[in-house]
Amino acid sequence: MIPEFDVIIVGSGPAGVSVAFPLVEVGLRVLMVDGGKQPGVLPPEADFLSARTNDSEQWKWIIGENFHALKMGDTVSPKLRVPAHAYVFEGFEARNQVIGENFISVGSLATGGLSNAWGCGVASFSSSEMTAFPFPASELSISYAKISKRIGISGAVADDMSDYFGLDEYSQPPIPMDELHKRLSQQYSNRREKLNSQGFKLGRSRVAALSEDMSDRLACNLSGNCLWGCRRRSMYSATDDLPNLRKHENFSELSGFIVDGLTRHDGHWSAEGQTTFDGERRSITASKIVLAAGTLATTRIALKTLNHRHAVPLLSCPTAAFLLWLPRLLGSPRMHGFGLGQLSFSMALNNNITAFGSTFATTGIPISEFVRHVPMSRRYGIDLLRGLLSSCVVGNFFLPGHLTAAEARLKEDGSLVVSGSYKHEVKPLMDEASRKLRKAYWALGAMLLPGSFTVGRPGSDIHYAGTLPMRKMPAIGETSQLGEVSGLDEVYVVDGACLPVLPEKSHTLTIMANADRIGKLIAMKLHGDRYK
Amino acid sequence: MKIVVTGATGYVGTRLVDIGGARGHVFVAASRRAPINHAIFWIPFDISVANHIKLPSDTDVVVHLAANIAHTNCLEEECEVDAAKKIINSAKEMGAKFIFVSSQTARADAPTAYGRTKWRIEQEVLLAGGWVVRPGQVYGGKLRGLFGMLVKIVQRLPLLPAFVPAPKVQPIHVDDLAEGLLRIAERGDVLSGVYCLAAPEPVSFSRFLGEIAKSRLRCLRGFVPVPVVVINALAQALGPSLRTRLGLERLRSLFDLPAMATATDLKQLGITLRPLRSGMHPSGNHRRRGLFQEGLALFTYVLKEPTGSAVLRRYVRVIESLRSGRPLGLPHAIMKYPILMSLIDEAVWADKSAGTEFSWRLDAVTVLAEATPSGASRFLGMGREHGVLSSLLSMANAVVWEVCWRILRTILLPLTRLALAHTRGAE
Repeated sequence: MIPEFDVIIVGSGPAGVSVAFPLVEVGLRVLMVDGGKQPGVLPPEADFLSARTNDSEQWKWIIGENFHALKMGDTVSPKLRVPAHAYVFEGFEARNQVIGENFISVGSLATGGLSNAWGCGVASFSSSEMTAFPFPASELSISYAKISKRIGISGAVADDMSDYFGLDEYSQPPIPMDELHKRLSQQYSNRREKLNSQGFKLGRSRVAALSEDMSDRLACNLSGNCLWGCRRRSMYSATDDLPNLRKHENFSELSGFIVDGLTRHDGHWSAEGQTTFDGERRSITASKIVLAAGTLATTRIALKTLNHRHAVPLLSCPTAAFLLWLPRLLGSPRMHGFGLGQLSFSMALNNNITAFGSTFATTGIPISEFVRHVPMSRRYGIDLLRGLLSSCVVGNFFLPGHLTAAEARLKEDGSLVVSGSYKHEVKPLMDEASRKLRKAYWALGAMLLPGSFTVGRPGSDIHYAGTLPMRKMPAIGETSQLGEVSGLDEVYVVDGACLPVLPEKSHTLTIMANADRIGKLIAMKLHGDRYK
Repeated sequence: MKIVVTGATGYVGTRLVDIGGARGHVFVAASRRAPINHAIFWIPFDISVANHIKLPSDTDVVVHLAANIAHTNCLEEECEVDAAKKIINSAKEMGAKFIFVSSQTARADAPTAYGRTKWRIEQEVLLAGGWVVRPGQVYGGKLRGLFGMLVKIVQRLPLLPAFVPAPKVQPIHVDDLAEGLLRIAERGDVLSGVYCLAAPEPVSFSRFLGEIAKSRLRCLRGFVPVPVVVINALAQALGPSLRTRLGLERLRSLFDLPAMATATDLKQLGITLRPLRSGMHPSGNHRRRGLFQEGLALFTYVLKEPTGSAVLRRYVRVIESLRSGRPLGLPHAIMKYPILMSLIDEAVWADKSAGTEFSWRLDAVTVLAEATPSGASRFLGMGREHGVLSSLLSMANAVVWEVCWRILRTILLPLTRLALAHTRGAE
């Protein structure tokens, strides 16, 4: 029996679309399936500050008509409270049977996956970071270039972070900084050497947001709606790639088909699952299956198909957040600006650990998010922040992923339990980091507000990876350098699950580049077969 | 329980079925027309035709609410009593409890046929070992019955009559009456007899109308004194048919209401009637009104100024859909002077869950307050002057007030604790 498709790609996020292009371009019959959730609430069209001042219906996109933001009061990130992003996160754990035990386990059933609500941070892994990969770093360079050009990234400027990100060749110029960040940047250029000797480097953030128009996506106009949703599509989302994929006749989609298992018959694979629109169970056949459903969902499907009940390790970056105040700029008026990372830093810590972080404007973030942490009664806390926050920037902070001791395990009932906690080294590293950051930023004229350096809960990075790592000689529960699951011929993993390391950097671009590399290799293999 | 109700589609009947249905009772409507609510069973029964009624075999209780209010034909008085006798007998054969909803006007020598009919039926019920409930002035809920008529009159007339001497009414909210009926039905320890369910303290009819205007309709109405003798003379002059058509008959029955002693009966059933003002509120309970007031206090505290009704309604919806739907029960002083909320912090709560609930609601109010144009001014400083000096001043101002309140908080801690001790948490 001939299978219905050559390849089924499970997942339409950044990994899924990136592996799809090479496969589709050589004429393979590709079916992409995903959880199918679509946006409901639309973010504002006007810039953030005008919308806040004039729109009497703003509560609908800030809180949500069913009070989404209040229901999600306990969750780790403001992103999870944004009504326009509710569809990105909802239902993931239930439908994919993922359970987090003291571990934040977030994923997406949306078309485009988590890239509909991400911070757009991009970076390339250095050769030393890639030593654990079962192939040379050079094999990824072409893919990095291709993906960067396809999705549009910006931030290219010759600065102290150019090497760290390694993407300036393929990047648009940076999106303009606001006054606070300009000042930080200026102060940095005066004190570079001293700070570098302390192990602190600062430079422009490299982000997957456009500073120049690209086909039908518009350049960032500093409207500041980044947290709420970008109507101009300056921020990359994998959904932006779907129209180009759809131009190919051999590309099909089945949206709303959630795969929960794979079975093998007659020499080919069958993806089994349920379609959400009618509740029917279906099975679709293909020669190859590519899993790109996000680390947690992919891991569950792979382990279930392998019937592998042992725990697999999970990499996750310990995170923290902090608030910086620039006294010189106290009393600045609220201005429009870019809401994602403007400046990024790398910091050397003990034991050769490098940490990474970025700073953001506070304008687009609800003040309610900050007021809770101010040790004053509500009314006066608001007054204080109103005066203070316009001269503050918010920062985030990441440590390398091996510092969380986490694992994922398949249970008898087929659900995936994710659990973990920070390793012992994390607390002293965080303490060291907060001291060093305070010192470094003080030299830049910014004060790290006391008590504001807050360590996040395990899993709050939402950067999980490494459960089915690529190895030269993969054991059961690992993948080959082609991403093929050991023990499951013709099943490939191309999302975060297959990364063998998770450094402190943003990893999405690397996942996409790797997915592209794997896609090309699979295409070449099959193409080669065809010509025999 | 399986409860057969005559008059299930009437003013009291619909609430009885709604509230009892939510409690798990199964209702069978015995009425002329099948009720719109197809969820309840139906058997045909017409009180003016006095046919034999066939009750379902597993009936536990029969509640007889149906009355012929047309009052057009005195002969019908006999029909009504006969119909009642038949249904009383059917219930007795079945061993079902029979509850008859009578009237405050029920007397052997009542001036109206209505009152006399009710009294006669009462006697039949008591003879058969059933229960009689005499409700006071039923009000609240949907605009039906005498209450509905009064609301419409208040709405239409710019000036209302203040009868002199003022007749007194003893109001009871329709839901409270339904609750009373259900308790008699459910409990095994309530002996057969007459139960008077109404407000223990009579209220002047003018006050009752005034409350309709104020709490139900939110309109202002002035009063014109009208001597009762005038009404009586008018009624005499118009003759019986015109009297009843204009509703004067009902009005006159108001003047003649015998006061009822209700406190004992209410206590026996364990019912506390909601206050007239709360009951008159369109939502029918003090809960929602309490939530509005609570919201107003919280918003005024956070925003330093009262907020519009749209935002308040949102707050009420939030508490009703995401929390218990009940107001916290903050002390009056705090509700009146919201700035006193600065005295509240975690230490002050005796009941931890009340403290948690208060914090949750304060957070919710902050979020709701921020997501408004005035929130943009208050939180972001949009439209306000900026600059180093004004920022420093507002920050210093905030810190100074915070310090003052902290001192006050410590000094007044025992007092605040006492005041908050009665606040319920999330139940």
